[in-house]
Formats: sequence, C-alpha cells, structure tokens
Amino acid sequence: MTRRHRFVGGSFLTALVVLGTTEWALNRSLVAQGTVVAPRFEVDPFWPRPLPNNWVLGETIGLGIDSQDHVWIVHRADRVDVVEGAADQKPPTASCCRKAPWVLEFDPAGNLVGHWGGPGSGYEWPISNHGIFVDYKDNVWIGGNNAKDSHILKFTKAGRFLMQFGRQGKSKGSNDTENFGRVAKIFVDPKENEAYVADGYGNKRVAVIDADSGKFKRYWGAYGNRPDDTDLGPYDPNAPPAQQFRTPVHCAELSNDGLVYVCDRPNDRIQVFRKDGTFVKEQFIAKRTLGDGSVWDIAFSKDPQQKYLYLADGKNEKIYVMDRESLQILTTFGDGGRQPGQFFAVHSIATDSRGNIFTTETYEGRRVQKFVYKGLAPVTKFDQGTVWPK
Amino acid sequence: MFRLFCSSMPIALGLAFALMPVSAQRATGSAPTFQVDPLWPRPLANHWILGSVTGVAVDPQDHVWLVHRGMDSLTAKTEAGLATNPPTAESCCAPAPLVLEFDSAGGLINSWGGPGPGYEWPRTPAGITVDAKGNVWIAGIFPRPAVAQGPPPPPSDAHVLKFTRGGTFLLQIGQPGKIEGSFSKTTLNQPAGFAIDTAANEVYIADGIANRRVAVFDSETGAYKRHWGAYGRPTSEAPIGTYDPDKPPSNQFNVVSCVEIARDGLVYVCDRRNDRIHVFKKDGTFVKEAFVSRPTLGEGSVWDIAFSNDAQQRFLYVADGSNQKVWILRRDTLDVVSSVGAGGRWPGHFYGVGSIAVDSKGNLYTGETYEGKRLQKFIFKGLGAPAGDRQ
Repeated sequence: MTRRHRFVGGSFLTALVVLGTTEWALNRSLVAQGTVVAPRFEVDPFWPRPLPNNWVLGETIGLGIDSQDHVWIVHRADRVDVVEGAADQKPPTASCCRKAPWVLEFDPAGNLVGHWGGPGSGYEWPISNHGIFVDYKDNVWIGGNNAKDSHILKFTKAGRFLMQFGRQGKSKGSNDTENFGRVAKIFVDPKENEAYVADGYGNKRVAVIDADSGKFKRYWGAYGNRPDDTDLGPYDPNAPPAQQFRTPVHCAELSNDGLVYVCDRPNDRIQVFRKDGTFVKEQFIAKRTLGDGSVWDIAFSKDPQQKYLYLADGKNEKIYVMDRESLQILTTFGDGGRQPGQFFAVHSIATDSRGNIFTTETYEGRRVQKFVYKGLAPVTKFDQGTVWPK
Repeated sequence: MFRLFCSSMPIALGLAFALMPVSAQRATGSAPTFQVDPLWPRPLANHWILGSVTGVAVDPQDHVWLVHRGMDSLTAKTEAGLATNPPTAESCCAPAPLVLEFDSAGGLINSWGGPGPGYEWPRTPAGITVDAKGNVWIAGIFPRPAVAQGPPPPPSDAHVLKFTRGGTFLLQIGQPGKIEGSFSKTTLNQPAGFAIDTAANEVYIADGIANRRVAVFDSETGAYKRHWGAYGRPTSEAPIGTYDPDKPPSNQFNVVSCVEIARDGLVYVCDRRNDRIHVFKKDGTFVKEAFVSRPTLGEGSVWDIAFSNDAQQRFLYVADGSNQKVWILRRDTLDVVSSVGAGGRWPGHFYGVGSIAVDSKGNLYTGETYEGKRLQKFIFKGLGAPAGDRQ
C-alpha cells in the first residue's frame, strides 16, 4: 500500500512538472499506452455519517456546496413510501424509518448540522422540489419540476424564506417573463448578481434573472434560438441535432471565464454559451443514449482555470472526466449498483474547495456520496469502473 | 427556520458506526459485535446489477450465494438500459444471472439460474440454501395475482428446486399453480426457505407465504414425510385475521418465511407477520415461542434466521426487513440482546433486509429485497458489550 502511494505520489510530482512544460507530449505518450493524466477519485464509503432519528431519504434530487464546504442536499421526502417510511405511518407499522426533512446540510466531515424545508407561510413549496444551490451570499435556491411548479424559492441558510420568483401553476411557456416552467436547477453569477435558471422540465430555455429582484433579463433556447414549445417527439440519435432543447433542460452552470454550460439532457449534449446567450459550441455524450438521456449535471474542477469538467450521467451510471476546453472525455468512473461508488440514477454533482466530488442519486438510488480527490494521476482513458479506495 | 444542530444527537462513533445498534430492549451480558465491510463483495463485471435479493446462503466452503429477482424487479426504463430492446443506454446496466456464487474474498466465481429443461424455474425465486453435500435449493414465492379481465396471469410458484452447485437440475417438489392446500402431501404454495437435515436425508420447507406450515420431504426422492402448523398443531385452512399485537397469539402461522435447524436438533421457524419465532423438535413437537419487536405490523419482524458459528450456537440472528435491522438474540432464552443496522442506502444500512447467513468465521451476510438490492457483509468482531440504545 505504502509502495503504491509512493508510486502515485511520484507520478503525481512528475505529472505536475511535465504538465507545466510538455503536457501535450506526455499525454500523447500516455494515450498510446491507454492511460491519460487526469483527476483521480476514490469513493469514501463512510461519508456521510449515519442520519439520526431513523431518517431516510427520498429521491435525492439536488446538491449544492457552500462557501464553508458544507454539502447541501434536497430530496423528496414525500416519496418515502409506506413500506420504507413505516415509522411515519399512523399507527407506525415498524420502528424504522421516518422521512428526513427536505433540506439537509452536512459539514465536511459528513455530520448532519442543519435541516429544514417544506411548506410554510409566504411561499409555495414545490410539489416536486428539484435542485438546490447555495449562492455567494449564502442564500439557498430551490426549484421544482412538477407540472404546476413554475417558480423558484430563495431562503437563508437557516431556512428563513426570502423570495419567490414566479407563481405556482402560472407558467405560460418558454417565452413567459414572469414565471418558469418546471425548473431543474439554478446558478448565481457573483459578478453580475444574476441567476441562471435551467428551465426546465416544461420550458426549453435558459432564463437569466436578477438574483435580488427576480426581474427577467434575458433567455434563450438551443443554439441561442428563441425557444419554441413545439413537441419535438422522442430523441433520435440518427436525426440531425434538434434546434431546440429537449426537456428537461437540466443544468446551466457558469464557469469562471464566463461560459454557460447547459445540460440538454435527453438530447445527450452539452451546449456552451456566452453570458449573453451567444452560442459557442456543443458536444454530444454517449449519443446513442435514449430515454432519460446522458447529460444530467455538470460541475467544474476547483483549480482557477477549471481545467476539468465533470459530467454526471444517470442513465449510463457514470461520471465523465472531461477537458473543459476541448470537451473531450479523458476518463470515466462509476457503474450501476447499490454498493459504494456505484449509482442508480446519479442526478446531481458538485465539487468542494478541495476538489472532492459529491453526487446524489434520484429514483431508488437515494443517497449522497463523496469521491475523494486524489490528485492528478495516470488513469485509464477508458472506464475505471467502481472507484474504491486502494 | 427549523434549523437544528445535530451535534447533540448521539450518533454511533468510529468505524463501528455501521453497527448502529438501536433499542436493544433487554441488553444484558455480552453479545456478538460486527462491522460492515463496505467493499465486499467486489463490483460485478459486465455492468451487471442485482434485482431484489430474496435469498442468501453460505456453503461448507464459506462461499456466499445469493438468489435475486433479476429483471422482474428492475425498472427497464431507468435501471436496465442495456437489457431493453433496443438498448436505451450505452454502458449500463443489465441484470446479473439469478444465482450468484462469491468466494470469501467477495469475487464472483460462478453464476447461473433461469429456465431449463426438466424443471420449472420460479417466477420469483427465493430462499436459496446450500446443503452439506453442496447442492443448491431454491424456492419460489410468486403469488398469482387476482385479475378480473385480460389474459390469465402466470400461476403462483408452488414448488422448490434442487440443483448441483454448478446449476445442473436434480429434483423438483411441487408444480407452479398446482395448489391443494396445507394438508397436501405433494404440493406446496409459495415456499420461502429451507433447512436440510443431511443425516436424515430430509428437507424442511418453509411453506410458506400461502401455506401456513413446515413441510418435510425426503431430500433425495422428494417423498412426503410430515408437516405441521403453529404450536405443532394440524394445519388449518381457516381464515386468519390481520395481525394484532394486542390480541392473544394466533394458533396459525402467518407467513412462514424461514426454517432453520440448530446443531442440537431444534427447528426454528420464522412466523413473519406474527412477529415471532416458533421452536420445535424435528418431529414437530412444539418447544417454545418468542416475539421480536411485537408491535411491528404489515410484513412483520421475523424474516429470516441464522445461528452464530460457535459450537453451542449461543446466538441467533433475525433479519427484520420491516424495522431494517438484524436482531441478536440469546438462543437459550430467545431474549434480544443487541441489534445491528438502521434504514438507509449507505453501507451498513438496510432497506428490506430479508435474508441472512453466517460463515465459519462468524461473519454475517445479509440480502436486501425491495429496492435495497444488495448483498452486504458484516465482519464478526468478537463478543463485546451489547450496543444498547446508542443511537
């Protein structure tokens, strides 16, 4: 084990030095051997700590990391059924389990340090909450993807309601400038105080609003086109690329250099834009993936240049480690299953300040997992499979 | 607004967190302690995934076996994208073969299962057991649904199968859909598990979900030997009401989900929905009973039983798929002395833990049905203080 660590450490140093000078040459030689230098990860099977109170999670449908590296998740507590939520029944049918509160906050060690969520006065809690984001002011944003969820909520980290943008049940489609259409996710740009809304399961657009007033500033569809709600039918990998997003538009993530990366999930593609909605480029991922599609969520590596892009694919059950500039896949890890480091419907992905990756799983996956960043290392350019501690 | 800090909430500490023993009701003396091994078994090849695991067994070589429901329990649209026609995913997932054999290191070393000539594969296989000769027994628990119209549904599983460890068919007792009630000497009804008395060439069948009895057959010929109901009484077809913990104990079993024979010849029966264990002599003479988590409603608390590996088998482990834990009982008093596990999807947690087995080193193996869908190993860490109410 020690020998292995030394080997990896040595390789890491070498890689760093060489990357600074002749990265291209090194990568070329490694590719010839079937390996590539890329961020390497190992699952931490003991993160997070067990929940108290016999709490269990429903579909774990959103993930965000705040400025203190606390990990936030939102899940659908109401999807814990009568069998699994036996202790919530009246009368209880067993001593376990109870649904956990909707919003859970973990510290970096994996301890549950806060929880809140659910209906309250002054706002409309989503019928089907979806996505959580903690902005640079430490406010917490939540969307919702039920057919009637056409709004976004903003809370303090302690769960005090601040703002609601849009009203439940009021969506007028992809060109509505007052309401949304089943929002998947939100990202707030600290430089401009603008919220980028992946909108969504009903609408086919990215919408940008003022993060304080909620005022609509701009929105756009695929390739920067004006969004059109015409039914596209099912995705066909052999057809020409669709000129509209195919719902759900599942993420809209802003990089430090001002590019907006959009998850066009069932279209199996990432589209990249400037902040003003100008189309830059697109990249297909696992293009023959049908149904739920391959491009579920995106996070960036934590180096200032955000050299790497991590893509969660809840249909093929893996994480793609990509070069952000070229959008080429360097390596992949993960596989289907219920063991540590495996996935069922890996839905959300985020990185902390140390470069660790966190994931959540929807459907019956229903958990949050941590993948520890192990530095740059030679890894297979193909699939790493389940990444267990070595 | 309802932010609470959980630092005051006691959470089991250290790696032993996975024990999470909860509400050991009569914690006295020492009890076996365990730690989950989160990296066992090894990941499956071929992007195989498990369906609901309905049986776990350990063979005389400490190989660990499971049977699962495969595609029948997977969601084709979301979970099994390589198994649909056309495939809906490029790289994951497909159901693993239904019978899997792992070595003690967790490597998959053989797999088989499914329909074949000469026998009828159960629609819902369950209750795998490997006997001392290395033969593999598989039961079937599919209940024929009541359907008012449309094509007739498949028949109920009403049979058990015996194979060699390599999967060659040897014996079938009963036939799917051939149901003649709990007095029958030739038929079964949704049998759920086995115990094999090798010296006597007898197989004890937990029969089962629908027949409310233990039935004993010759393990070589399949010839009927004897059967009995709760308290060793004759079986009855009289209707049983819903379990009520405040009522006197039922005179009938309510889902016989396991039968296990201890080295001293006592026969332990899981009376699942009645939340109790019944203990018999091999001839069916009733010895005693014990309730486990008696307020449990619904599917009940006593799903499967295994014994500790010491010569006296001092402890008995009960898999409880309703309360999501493994209860640890003293076998002599049948008192609960500790428990392991809690609800959830992380290592050491459970959803629908319905199968349990022990290897020669005392390690526990559990199988989860429903959406738990996994095999877990808990390493035996010796006797220690019972966990008590740590959580």
